[in-house]
Parts: sequence; structure tokens; C-alpha cells
Amino acid sequence: MAPPAQSQKSASPSQPSGKGEVSDVKMQLRQLAGSRSPGTDDAKRELFKKVISYMTIGIDVSSVFSEMVMCSATSDIVLKKMCYLYVGNYAKYNPDLALLTINFLQRDCKDEDPMIRGLALRSLCSLRVANLVEYLVGPLGTGLKDGNSYVRMVAAVGVLKLYHISASTCMDADFPAMLKHLMLNDKDAQVVANCLTSLQEIWGLEASASEEAARERETLLSKPVIYYFLNRIKEFSEWAQCIVLELVAKYVPSDSNEIFDVMNLLEDRLQHANGAVVLATIKMFLQLTLSMTDVHQQVYERIKAPLLTLVSSGSPEQSYAVLSHLHLLVMRAPFIFSSDYKHFYCQYNEPFYVKKLKLEMLTAVANESNTYDIVTELCEYAANVDIPMARESIRAVGKIALQQYDVNAIVDRLLQFLEMEKEHVTAETLVLVKDLLRKYPQWSHDCIAVVGNISSKNVQEPKAKAALIWMLGEYAQDMQDAPYILESLIENWDEEHSAEVRLHLLTAIMKCFLRRPPETQKALGAALAAGLADFHQDVHDRALFYYRLLKYNVTVAERVVDPPKQAVSVFADTQSSEIKDRIFDEFNSLSVVYQKPSYMFTDKEHRGPFAFSEELGNLSIDTELADNVVPAQRVEANDKDLLLSTSEKEDNHGASNNSSAYNAPSYDGSRMVGASQAQQDLVSLDQPPPANVPVSLAIDDLLGLGLPVVPSPAPSPPALKLNAKAVLDPNSFQQKWRQLPLAASQEISMNPQGVSALSSPQVLLRHMQGHSIHCIASGGQAPNFKFFFFAQKEDEPSTYLVECVINSSTCKAQLKIKADDQSTSQAFSALFESALSKFGLP
Amino acid sequence: MLQCIFLLSDSGEVMLEKQLTGHQVDRSICAWFWDQIISQGDSLKLLPVIASPTHYLFQVVREGITFLACTQVEMPPLMAIEFLSRVADVLSDYLGSLNEDLIKDNFVIVYELLDEMIDNGFPLTTEPNILREMIAPPNIVSKVLSVVTGNVSNMSNSLPGATSSCVPWRKTDLKHASNEVYVDLVEEMDAIINRDGALVKCEIYGEVQVNSHLSGLPDLTLSFANPSILNDVRFHPCVRLRPWEANQILSFVPPDGEFKLMSYRVKKLKSTPIYVKPQLSSDSGTCRISVLVGIRNDPGKSIDSITVQFRLPPCVLSADLSANHGAVNILADKTCSWSIGRIPKDKAPSMSGTMVLETGLERLNVFTSFQVSFRIMGVALSGLQIDKLDLKNLPSRPYKGFRALTRAGEFEVRS
Repeated sequence: MAPPAQSQKSASPSQPSGKGEVSDVKMQLRQLAGSRSPGTDDAKRELFKKVISYMTIGIDVSSVFSEMVMCSATSDIVLKKMCYLYVGNYAKYNPDLALLTINFLQRDCKDEDPMIRGLALRSLCSLRVANLVEYLVGPLGTGLKDGNSYVRMVAAVGVLKLYHISASTCMDADFPAMLKHLMLNDKDAQVVANCLTSLQEIWGLEASASEEAARERETLLSKPVIYYFLNRIKEFSEWAQCIVLELVAKYVPSDSNEIFDVMNLLEDRLQHANGAVVLATIKMFLQLTLSMTDVHQQVYERIKAPLLTLVSSGSPEQSYAVLSHLHLLVMRAPFIFSSDYKHFYCQYNEPFYVKKLKLEMLTAVANESNTYDIVTELCEYAANVDIPMARESIRAVGKIALQQYDVNAIVDRLLQFLEMEKEHVTAETLVLVKDLLRKYPQWSHDCIAVVGNISSKNVQEPKAKAALIWMLGEYAQDMQDAPYILESLIENWDEEHSAEVRLHLLTAIMKCFLRRPPETQKALGAALAAGLADFHQDVHDRALFYYRLLKYNVTVAERVVDPPKQAVSVFADTQSSEIKDRIFDEFNSLSVVYQKPSYMFTDKEHRGPFAFSEELGNLSIDTELADNVVPAQRVEANDKDLLLSTSEKEDNHGASNNSSAYNAPSYDGSRMVGASQAQQDLVSLDQPPPANVPVSLAIDDLLGLGLPVVPSPAPSPPALKLNAKAVLDPNSFQQKWRQLPLAASQEISMNPQGVSALSSPQVLLRHMQGHSIHCIASGGQAPNFKFFFFAQKEDEPSTYLVECVINSSTCKAQLKIKADDQSTSQAFSALFESALSKFGLP
Repeated sequence: MLQCIFLLSDSGEVMLEKQLTGHQVDRSICAWFWDQIISQGDSLKLLPVIASPTHYLFQVVREGITFLACTQVEMPPLMAIEFLSRVADVLSDYLGSLNEDLIKDNFVIVYELLDEMIDNGFPLTTEPNILREMIAPPNIVSKVLSVVTGNVSNMSNSLPGATSSCVPWRKTDLKHASNEVYVDLVEEMDAIINRDGALVKCEIYGEVQVNSHLSGLPDLTLSFANPSILNDVRFHPCVRLRPWEANQILSFVPPDGEFKLMSYRVKKLKSTPIYVKPQLSSDSGTCRISVLVGIRNDPGKSIDSITVQFRLPPCVLSADLSANHGAVNILADKTCSWSIGRIPKDKAPSMSGTMVLETGLERLNVFTSFQVSFRIMGVALSGLQIDKLDLKNLPSRPYKGFRALTRAGEFEVRS
């Protein structure tokens, strides 16, 4: 039913072009319109069918609109239905013609058959023509009071449709109040449920504009209303139950007794045949018990069986949706699922996306008692015909090895993989062996013996090649022919397409040279010469750097290139725990499937009343892009533990090159303790440390070391004064946001009073305005709010931009600040924080 | 909240489009979606939930037909997928089965059904019993009826009785000439067997399917002899949960017609009814294969429809396989299927032959796994037994029938 404007008139040659046929149908309909002879309805029906089938395949049949309406005077219900369908599709684009239909629809709304009344009302509301809303109010009002529940049910949704066409008409007719009355009193559960969905949406959207609607929205979550719904839960259809459960999940019980009451009442929902109900119930249970650790754990135990049954009962699509949720829970509490590991075994016929989730879960639940079984199972997959699957399973074995202390058996298995002589298996395994060696250097002896036997000619994939070269460099003294292998690789420098491999080659040959100088000198010379001539900037720079370093002092070079290394204790996690928590808060939503919190992807969502909510979306996409390129983001990398980078930007970075944990190490050296030492040397080597701070800051940035912030030597900036009447139009805001680098990003805790005052975004806006910080866009619903603020310096047109995401359930606010004048961003950040912290205080 | 539902044929053609909200979803989304499928090579390989540049898409594929739903707002993904699956179930129930022609021939009914199943993006009812009262299925009976009575409408004129009944899945005044109820235990055995014959995993997923044609408002109680073996259960909404919790008795007022009363899982089974022993040995570019099949644990009833399937590894150039019982077929996509049927009394079925490997390959370096299917009538392998079925509130003595069936689900033997 494409709207006429985009109809595909010649989508495929086999489809009729439509023109001739449509005018044909038009003629015939016109002849039938006035006829009352028997059999007319049958003829009409055939014609209507034809029209609708044209519509379905995308031919524009809007030209027969008036004929269709003329023929619609009939008592045949199927004819009526087809006509409603047609009218609903084209009315929006033919508002003038739509007026023709009003008459017969209004008449049908008074039909004695409730089914026709309901259908007519539904079609009337689906016309969605703004200048016809006046005709809607009357039938809707009577529909809400209709004696038949089917009509009331349709009317309840009709109110929402009216609201979307014309909110003011809907509010003026006082429909929300009528819906509320119906919701709390109607005996038909489906009517109640439809009232609830309509009211939730209407009040949610109105809340920002009117205090009253905001209050009404709150009352939906009040104890009596929630209890009313809970007591009737069994009357609702399965889908309505989902909606009610969703509502109840937002309710905050006053004490633990109440929590237990609610849970006892809903426990049997876990055995419902509909997976959506089960999942909605599970979400509620998890949310309710968050603060009670031991009960929370019991909840996990309780929901385990229903979830596992859901996985095995449904179609692959359903299994996948359930598995993604199960995946989330397994990642949060692997120990609870460790005895159920067999459920995560992959079946041969399962789609790859299901297998991948299962592999991750197998990796997570591995512990001392089941590791042997799991690794045995994973080894089966490694020999799988399906290459992506084989790769993933080898990675999984590697991850388990990195988790466990007893890796003896696993290392043996990995080494067996190398003997399988399949290219993709060898490639994956090499990458893993390299990671293992970084963590367990004590295994080097066994591994090197096997790795040394691999002919570098059989390894083609850049990552694997890089890993092999790294090992050749790192263990040059243990491998007899390391220099010669490297030499032959250097001879083929020009055929090596991957810059990553060439970079590694340079570093490896350096290391090799430092340990076995006589054998390597010639190769080193060749490598440096080739590197200097390389067209790739990084390769060229690294070659030049090594060359100068060697020229300067060989011992210094050794300290820089080949310092004694400390074993890596923990590899960077790909996702920060904060992000995982946030996904958990959004259980039973798309976030779980995408494994990202919704603010990272739901930019398409229409968000609140602000007109340019679309642009808001663009903005936040851009921030992420910007984060990837702007080096400054690294400054705020966690300074507690260089190995554990937990900032979300790192994740994006990791995601973009797919597996940050598997990069061969030397350039990632910045993440290793040993290497950080080296890089500090590097700074001192360069020139006498520059006195002016901006440069040293820049170096820190470039290295991404996240060193403890250099104390600012500049005289502390004068107290920042903001312009109370700052103006900025949304477009320039958006432009600036895109252009400016991120100046600061932090998470701060808000005081609970402030959060509780945050019933709607508006309250905070007014508060911040009092501190000369203006809001340009806001949106979201409890518990997640998102704001874009801006402020200007009092005396000059220098602007600060802030993105602020507040989660009212965790009392946390996440700030991203950008500024025209970077030097004062710290001061502004402090000012913003203090303003925010005063929110909600008397 | 779903915004639009499309039905696509197996060539990507839009067969049906149902806009649900004021926001019109442009058809071009289907073209985008189909490009994704083509790039993946197979619709089954594409994730059920994907993000397009403008919408989130949910897809469910049944019998070559893709049910595609679009939304722009956050919503429980399982709700969308469950709903689409139900739509598919209801349609195949209405139309007898699902295929492109059936949908194109009956698109008006499909529109009518969608109209009642979802309004403004929120699912209303997907209970086939209720829907059938609102929209008559396009079966022969109703066609005959319409000819005889002259009532051409394929839609009943009164509202479904169920909407006013206290039991929402059943209308109040049902009358059947013969009162009968059938209870079937249908079980699927999922198992993985290692190359050394050890059982890696074995469990049963079972359903209690009821087909009821009873007059009035009957009240049924079904009890099992050994309910304690059930690991986890899920019920049709008609089942009262208290009696189950107290005494593990299923007490319910059934919907009319066929429905799934309960599903359950039984874990940790110790043995399988048949064994399948594949042996592969390769030497200088050829691989000898032999597969033996036989009864391991006699279930007491005959095992039929036994087939063994496996996919020839890509490195196999040609294969020459034969069996002493049953037929061996090698399909174009390199799937080899050996249909055995029943195991004869006098000999153990075996299949053997040689496979020629790619040049340069000395021995087979991948393992294949064998999918086994079978069917046993009259036995529920989990051991679950129905104790008795009581019926109350019935005008006459009904006929009660019980059946059991076990078939192989994901039954996999590794080599």
C-alpha cells in the first residue's frame, strides 16, 4: 500500500502498468454504483478485490476514490471492510475526497451491529486527515460509552489516534479523563488495556507541557492503580499482560514486603506459554530485587528453568531473542549458570548468530569443574566445516585459557590446532598463542617449539602473520632460525600489503637485532631502508624513529624497544561494567539484542515534544564518530589501571577494529605496563622536556596513556562568568557539536533529592537556567533523561556545549562537555557540576 | 509498538503491506531488507532483529514467506517476534498451510485477520478460537454454506461470544453432536552423541496437545502418573495454576478445537532408542566411510521413518555410497540422505562407500556430523504417563482418546 507519491509504477515488467486496468475498473464501478439489482454485491466484491490487489502490489489506484465511496453504500460486511481498507490508505493523500467518506462512516458508527460500529470507528480514526478531526469527536465520545466492549476497545485506541492527528482537539474534548474512568472501571480487560496504552502515550507526551498531565502520569504508577492492574492480571490477554507488566516494572514498592507480595502474585506468569509474558515478568523480578542481593540471586535461580525452556521450545527467531537476554544474565552471573553449560552446546543446524551467542556463554560459564568438558566440546567445533564457526570456537578456547589459572590442558589443545594444517585454524590459533604468551610467559618453551615449525608461507592473514612475527621477535633467542625467517620476510617487503604486518616486522627485527646482532644486522639495514621508503606514514615514521634511536644510543634503543616485560594480568574488557549495567536496566528491550544501551542507538526514536528531535539523533551519532578521531578522548582513560580501559569510547574504538584484545601487541604497547615505561623515556629523549604545558599535554594525548592529569601550571583561571541571556540556534549548536572535540567527559552522582525532583525534564531546565545554563533540547522518560545544554561566557562569544544523560534510578549523570575555548572547559565543568548538584535542594 | 507489517514472498516481492500507525513506512525498506538477505545468501542466516538506516526490523521466516515488522521505537524484541510467529501460525491455520499463492488468493482474509490481531501497533488477540468467530476461515464448508443460504459474507454477523464470556478463549454456547476429546503427548528428543558413542547431551522437549470437541462449558482435570520427572513446564492460559502447584494436576476449561495445553522439558536422559555409528578413515586422497545403525534400547514399539543425513565436506570431490537396506541419495547441495525406514529383523542396516578428496589433500581434515531422524508411535520416551482425565459439566458421556509420539528433534551424531 505505498502512498501514491512513491508508488512503484513499473516495479517489474511482469506487473501490469495499471493505467488501463484502473480506468477499466473505474468504469465498471461507476456502472454498479447506483444499481440495486441482485448480484450487484458479488460483482462489486470482485471489483473491490481487484482494486485492493492493485493497491497491494503498489499500483496507484487513488483515482477511483470517488467511485469506491459511491459503491460503499452496502450492507455486505466484507465489502465494507475492503472499502475501509482502501479509504484508510488513500484518505491521507486526498483530504478533499476523504470528506466524502465521512458521511457513510458516521452512519456506520450508528449501525446496530457492534462489529460494524467498531470497524467504522476504527476506519474513521485511521483517516488521519487533520481538517476532518471535528467529525471524529462525536463518534469517539459515543464509542467510549458504547454498550459493547468491542466498540469501546476500538474507541480507546481511537482516542490515541486522534491525539496524534490533533492533540488539542483530543485534550479539549476531555477524552483522557474519560479513558481514565474506563480504565479503572470497565469490566472488559481488553478495553482496560487499550485505555492504558493510550493514556501512557498521551500523558507521556503531554507531561512536558502540562503539570497536570505529568501528575496524571505519576498516578498511573501509584499504588492503588498498580494494585488494580495486578489484581486483574489474569483477565488480560497475553499481549495486554506484557503492557501491564511493563508498567509495573516502573513501580517502586515501598518496602520489601510489598516486593514479595508482587512477586508472589506474579510468579505463575513465569509459566505462561507466551515468551513475551515470561520475559516481561523476569524483567520485573530482576528490577524489583536489585537492592536485595541474596533475593536477587534466588531470582536468577528461579528464572533459569523458564528461560532455558523458552530457548529450546520456540523457533530459531524466538530462541535468538531469548538467548540474547539469557546471554546478558549469564554475563552478569556466570556462576549461577555454570552447571547448565550443556544447554549452550551448539547444534549443527543452528544459525550462526545463535551459535555465536552460545559460544560466548560457554566461555563465560567455564569454571574449574566444567572447563574440561567445555573445551572438549569447543574443540569439536574447531574442526567444523563452517569456517566462521571454527574461528569463533578457537577464540572461545583462547578466552577460556586466559580466564583460567590451570591452562595446561588448554595449551596442549591449542597446539594441536596448529597441527591440523588448516589455514584459518592456524591463523586464529597463532593470534591466541600470542595472547597466551603475553599472559603466561612461562609457557613460551612449549609454544615456541610448535610455532617454530610453522612455515610463514602458510600464514597469510595479516593478524596471524603479525602475531607470528611478534613471536619471532619476542623469542628470537629461543628460535634458532628467527633471524633468517625474518630476513626472508623482509626480502618480500614489497609484496606485504598489510601495514600492520610491516610495522610488526620493523619492531621484530629490532628486537632480534638487539639480541642477536651479528646475524640480524644485514636484515635490519634492509628493513629500515625499506621502511623509510614505505609509502605508509606510520611505517615510514617508525622506521625513521628506530633509525634515529639506534644512531643516538643503542642501549637507550634497547630500553625503548625491548624492555623487560611484565605479564599482562587482565586484558581490556570490551565493554565497561557501567554500560553492562545500563543494558541490564533496559532488560527486555532492543538494547539487549544489540548489546548496547539504548542511548547509543535509539536515535531514530521520536523523543519528546521538541521539534528538532531528529537533529538530536544526528548529534549523538556524530559525537561517537568524533570520539573516534579526536585524540583528546584518551586523556580521560582510566588512570588507575592502564590495562583496564573502561571508558566507553575505548569500546567504540575496539569495535571499529573488531577485536582490540587480539591486536598484536607492540603498538598497543601503550596498554602495557612495561611499555608505558618506554614511552616515558621516549618523551625525555625527544628534546629536553618542553616547559610550556600545552605541548606536554598534547604528547600525553597522543600517547593515550591516561597519565594522572598533569597539574595545571597556568595560574588558575579567573572565576568563569556566564552570560545569562545567551542565545544559540539549534542549527549552530548542532554544527558546533559536530566540529568541536570532546573537552571533558565524566560521570557524576546526583543527590537523591535532585533526582526525585526530576519528574519531567522541564524542572531541571528551569533550574539550570537560573545558573545561566540554557537547554536546547531535552527528552526521555524516567528513568533516563537526556539533555543538551549550552552556555556562553559573559564577556566574549565563547560557547560551551554539554550533553547530559541522567539516569534517575541510579542517580548518575553522564556529562560530555565541548568548548570553543578548551582552556576553560575544566572551570566550566566544575561550574556545571555545582549547578547540577544544587538541583532539588531547597 | 509496531508501525508496519510486510509479507514478502521468497523472491522478495511485497505480497502484503499493513500500515499500523500514522507514521507511513515506505515500501523501500523492503528493498533494503532484501538486499541484506541477498548479501547474506540465505534469509535464515540473517539476524531476526536488525537495524536499517531508518527502522528496526523484526523478521520471521515460515515456509519461504518472510514476515517483516518495522518500528522506530524501543520495544520488547521478543514481543514482536512472538507476535509475528503467532501471525504466521494463525495464517497457516486459516489457510491450511502457508505459501505464496494461498496468501495472494486470500489477501482480503489476511487483511481482515491483521486488522483484528493488531491495532495501532499493539497486539490485541491472537487466539485462533476467537478469531475464527470473528472471521470465518475460507474453507469449503463456508463456501458451500454461502451457496446454500445465499449469505455471501464470509464473516459471522454476531460478535464472538467469547468477548462477553468469563472464559475468554471459549464461547459459551458450543454444541457438538458427538462429544470427544483427544490428548496427545508429542515429544522430541534432542541429543548429541560423540564420536566415541558417548552421550554428550540428551533431553526431551514435549508438548501435551489437546483436541477438544465438547459441548457447553466442560471442566477437565488431567493428571500424570509421574509428574515429578518434568523439569520445567509452561501452560496454555486456560490452565489453573493452583491445582498444579498443590498436586500437579492440570485443571482447565479447554478452548474448542486443537491447542497446546502444556509444554515441558525432561533433562538428563540416559540413553537413546537407536545407535548410529559412523566410521571414517582416510588414506592417500580417498576416505572410506561406513555407518551402522541399530536398536540400542528397544522402546517396545516399532521405530520408523529412520533417516540419516549428513553434508559432504566441501573438500570431497565425489562420493560413492551404498547401503544394504534403504536408499541413499546425494542431493545437489552435497547433502547425503540415507532413508532407512524401519530396521529389519534379520540384519543391521549399514551404509558404506568411498569419497574422493580434493587433489593435494591426503586425509579428511574436517568432521561431519550426522543428523538422525526417527519416529516412534505409541511411546513417550521421557517416560511421562497420563494417569487419568476427568470431565465434569458434560451433558453426555464423551469419548476420550490418548496417543503418544516421540520423534527425533536435533539428534546429532558426530564423527
